[in-house]
Amino acid sequence: MLHAKIIDITKEKIDLNNAQKFIASSKCGASIYFVGTVRDQNNDKKVTGITYDSHDALVIKSFEEIYKEAETKFNFNNIAVFIEHVKGYVKLGETSIIIAVACKHRSQAYEFSRYIIEEIKKRTPIWKKEHYEGEDSKWLKGNPLIDQNQLK
Amino acid sequence: MKIKLELFGASRDFSKKDYLEFNLKEKSSIKDLRNEILNFVENNFKGNDNYKKLVQSSAFCSEENNIVSDDYKITKEQSIGIIPPIGGG
Repeated sequence: MLHAKIIDITKEKIDLNNAQKFIASSKCGASIYFVGTVRDQNNDKKVTGITYDSHDALVIKSFEEIYKEAETKFNFNNIAVFIEHVKGYVKLGETSIIIAVACKHRSQAYEFSRYIIEEIKKRTPIWKKEHYEGEDSKWLKGNPLIDQNQLK
Repeated sequence: MKIKLELFGASRDFSKKDYLEFNLKEKSSIKDLRNEILNFVENNFKGNDNYKKLVQSSAFCSEENNIVSDDYKITKEQSIGIIPPIGGG
């Protein structure tokens, strides 16, 4: 069971309570909440906030693909997964992503949750523009989604 | 054939709008579109090397929300998304 959504921060808030409600089940004995927040330093620069950009349709497609892959890979029963990512400007300490996973056992929940966040980092079309104290804002470098060999 | 290029991530710096428009010949491919964008960078940003690298390392997304290769033939007027290297979460 999957819930996947992009939260436009100008219209609504990302809320851990929604994750808790979605994954609650008496069939699961373990719940893991991963919450990504904006930190104040990156590459020795003082960060004041991050603007997240997203290709919404591709992001949801990517979340669904990652979830299905994880289901096949781990083959656990009775899993509930909640993934929400924000787009727009996020201040220091505020939440950018929530991944909540409920499984029968704790080892399953840890594995499933870790797989999802690592795959999102590798291939979900979300971009970050960091804002700094006293410096110009900058889009962060990321992973290309194309095979560079095809261009040679 | 008019193509609306939707801008994401660092490619948003190419325009104040969230898209660019290109006129491509019939039966053009993504490779042709990529070259048109490189020409745009050459003409509007004095061949800014960072922007060129960005275009060269970007993927493209069709109107059906599929990542498409350079060989993909654009058969109709449509919106195509440029997908620069990603790094969210």
